Amino acid sequence: MHKPDSKALKRRTGKLSRLAMACLGFMVSLLGPASGFGGEPPLTQYQVEAVFLFNFAKYVDWPPAAFTNATAPITIGVLGTDPFGDSLQHVAEGKTINGRPVTIRHLVSDSELGGCQILYISSSENFRVGQILGKAGALPILTVGESELFVANGGIINFVLKGGKVRLEINLAPAKKNGLDISSHLLAVADVVRGKSD
Amino acid sequence: MLSFICLAALAKADGTNQISQSAGDLENFTLEQLVNVQVTSVSKKETGLFTAPAAIYVITQEDIRRSGLTSIPELLRMVPGLDVARIDANHWAISARGFNNQYADKLLVLIDGRSVYTPVSAGVDWNVQDTPLEDIDRIEVIRGPGATLWGANAVNGVINIITKSAKDTQGGLVTVTYGTEDRPGTTVRYGGQLATNLFYRVYVKYFNREHFADAAGQAGADDWNAARGGFRLDWEPAAENNFTLQGDYYHSDAGETIDATSLTPPFVNRVNVVDHNQGGNVLGRWTHNFSDTSQLSLQAYYDHTEEGDAPSVIKDDTYDIDLQHRFALGTRQDIVWGAGYRYLMTAASPSFFVTLAPGSEDEQLFSTFVQDDITAVENRLHVIIGTKLEHNTDTGFEVEPSGRLAWTPTEKQTVWAAVSRAVRTPSDLEMDIRENRSAFQPASGPPVLASVFGNPDLQSEEVTAYELGYRIKPVERLSFDVTAFYNTYDRLITAVQGAPFFEAAPAPPHIVVPLTFQNSSSAATYGTEILGEWRVTDIWKLVASYALLQTRLNPEPVNNNDPQNQFQIHSYVNLPQHVELDAAVYYVDAINAQFGDGTLAIPAYVRVDLGVTWRPTRWLEIGVYGQNLTDDSHPEMTGVKTTAVTEVPRSVMGRVTWRF
Repeated sequence: MHKPDSKALKRRTGKLSRLAMACLGFMVSLLGPASGFGGEPPLTQYQVEAVFLFNFAKYVDWPPAAFTNATAPITIGVLGTDPFGDSLQHVAEGKTINGRPVTIRHLVSDSELGGCQILYISSSENFRVGQILGKAGALPILTVGESELFVANGGIINFVLKGGKVRLEINLAPAKKNGLDISSHLLAVADVVRGKSD
Repeated sequence: MLSFICLAALAKADGTNQISQSAGDLENFTLEQLVNVQVTSVSKKETGLFTAPAAIYVITQEDIRRSGLTSIPELLRMVPGLDVARIDANHWAISARGFNNQYADKLLVLIDGRSVYTPVSAGVDWNVQDTPLEDIDRIEVIRGPGATLWGANAVNGVINIITKSAKDTQGGLVTVTYGTEDRPGTTVRYGGQLATNLFYRVYVKYFNREHFADAAGQAGADDWNAARGGFRLDWEPAAENNFTLQGDYYHSDAGETIDATSLTPPFVNRVNVVDHNQGGNVLGRWTHNFSDTSQLSLQAYYDHTEEGDAPSVIKDDTYDIDLQHRFALGTRQDIVWGAGYRYLMTAASPSFFVTLAPGSEDEQLFSTFVQDDITAVENRLHVIIGTKLEHNTDTGFEVEPSGRLAWTPTEKQTVWAAVSRAVRTPSDLEMDIRENRSAFQPASGPPVLASVFGNPDLQSEEVTAYELGYRIKPVERLSFDVTAFYNTYDRLITAVQGAPFFEAAPAPPHIVVPLTFQNSSSAATYGTEILGEWRVTDIWKLVASYALLQTRLNPEPVNNNDPQNQFQIHSYVNLPQHVELDAAVYYVDAINAQFGDGTLAIPAYVRVDLGVTWRPTRWLEIGVYGQNLTDDSHPEMTGVKTTAVTEVPRSVMGRVTWRF
């Protein structure tokens, strides 16, 4: 939220009496965030999801075979129409996790999955999500998506929009199958965790 | 990236800088905090559309691909409130909010920032506006005046056809269509990378379209074939600079039937002609981002068109340069301003039917505009004011201001209102033409020739438009967009009959009944456009719209070219195995269209389209589409020059798209 520019305010109100200025100050404060008139601009779902994707890299451990070497980057692949704008770039660019730089790759085809540790499957691909998950499910990739059928098709983390909040649905079975270890901190904030008892 | 004077200029609703500030804080949130952040599910572009203080509709690439339609004018049918009426196989009349005819003159159309509105006849030659439909990113349609940003002739609407960056069209594409109309249609496009951040694409497109038939089943002369080719280069040497260079060349042979007038019997000869139209253009654009809140665009283009509109040939050469700068002033104002210059050369070959005096002329247009988007209450109330100031060779200075208000009481509702003024500048034909329209032999005396005369003293037509809009998302899967408008028009140009006079040449000597263009008419129109979108399930979407239009002209003409009611509903279903099943039903009211000196009653019609698209792999798409399936054929509109009305038939087409 922007604070009223006090200099500009003084210029504009220079000729007014102190009382008027006080009144004006009060009114401006009414229009401020506290009153709920303005408030923070609404965050989009995808800005929050971008931060989640980066966090997944922190809260998931991959088997060594998922990387070519000890300093190879953690690659986040975005398959299909990228909904993030520059927010994912903004969040992840130039960061390192456990000595591994984080990179982002845009994929157009499910034949390019190799080399990704996290695969975000855009909702533009919802109608072939089964086919994509079939391929990704054979690799040590953390698959992330947002569709009602995502988990049922063997996806690992599904974003669910509930009451204007981005909530998580986690499917442990395919993660375990490929040697991915999801931190209990992450499991703790998920609404639904499947395959926990295995 | 700012596409040149695009929707963004109207749809700007949230400050980019503010978003990133908040997003910056997000990174430090704990997981517990993240799952509790209140978010909006709409993307920024959707937010912009939802809160825009104008009647906007966007046709997406997805809509284009699934429609199975093969031309830009046909695609426009799906826009609520547009009247798309086909005259014959290769001519359309398209308008928004009234005044439709073959030379509908109140709708401005731009392709990648290049105006394709022809100032010679005032209007758009739809049968030469084309590009590979697969390379179109989106078509933005604004109903209502857009003159503050786009200038003269954006009276009742603006259509922006925006193609993809070469970066987004990498690889090969081959499309072949074949059916009852397309025999065949084909597009070949290839996109590649020349250097780091330098992308290109080249394309060729050819189609051969079948003629229609008239009401009696008689085959029309409206066969049509066209070939075109083009390229686009996009270079992004750094994040803050974008360069685009693009160009096209086309040749089209479009048949039609016209009435040729002569001073000797039989006076009217109905003849079939083929219009050899060709043209080309080259456009360059540089976009520079000084910062997140300051962007500059500089665009220049050259456009050549040759309307071999038999029996006359009209050549236009346009040179245009435009500058646009957008910046934030303080935290509450977003300013867009710009300046432009256009040089237009027109040459027309004379014939007995049409002469343009002088045969060639040069015109200049200077323009400048400024628009300020003021955030009165953050995220809640925007006030947008601006004006265009132009000077053109024909009518001098023109001022086109507008004021708009967007109130977003909640994230799920927008109320907007606008008042604007726009002008339609007289065409070269209206100022300088002599058209020998019809002749006959009275019982006694010399033959009589009805001729239309241009009037160099014409002023611009003007409109004052009042608009009101409301958008609501009552629940997540449902949205409505309602607009209402009241427009008053003044100084409308109509042909007024004058005193007959005698003319000796050309022989035989004859009496001329002159019809001279005058700013002699006025009008009021009002109406509403309602759009509803319902995502019934994750795989099924319904989109329905209704448009009502009432027109009152003074003096009242004998014809009424505009349907009073239009309704359409579209269903989109995504089935398993990558099969898409789509359907559309259109209803268009009856009209009493202008036809020669009289009118022709065109009944209401219902049109049903069905399509199936299957994508067995990422590389291959196969589709079968049927249009106007429930009807053998129906007429939609009469022509002004095109005198044979042929009917839109039932058609079926198959399409194979291969990407590599």
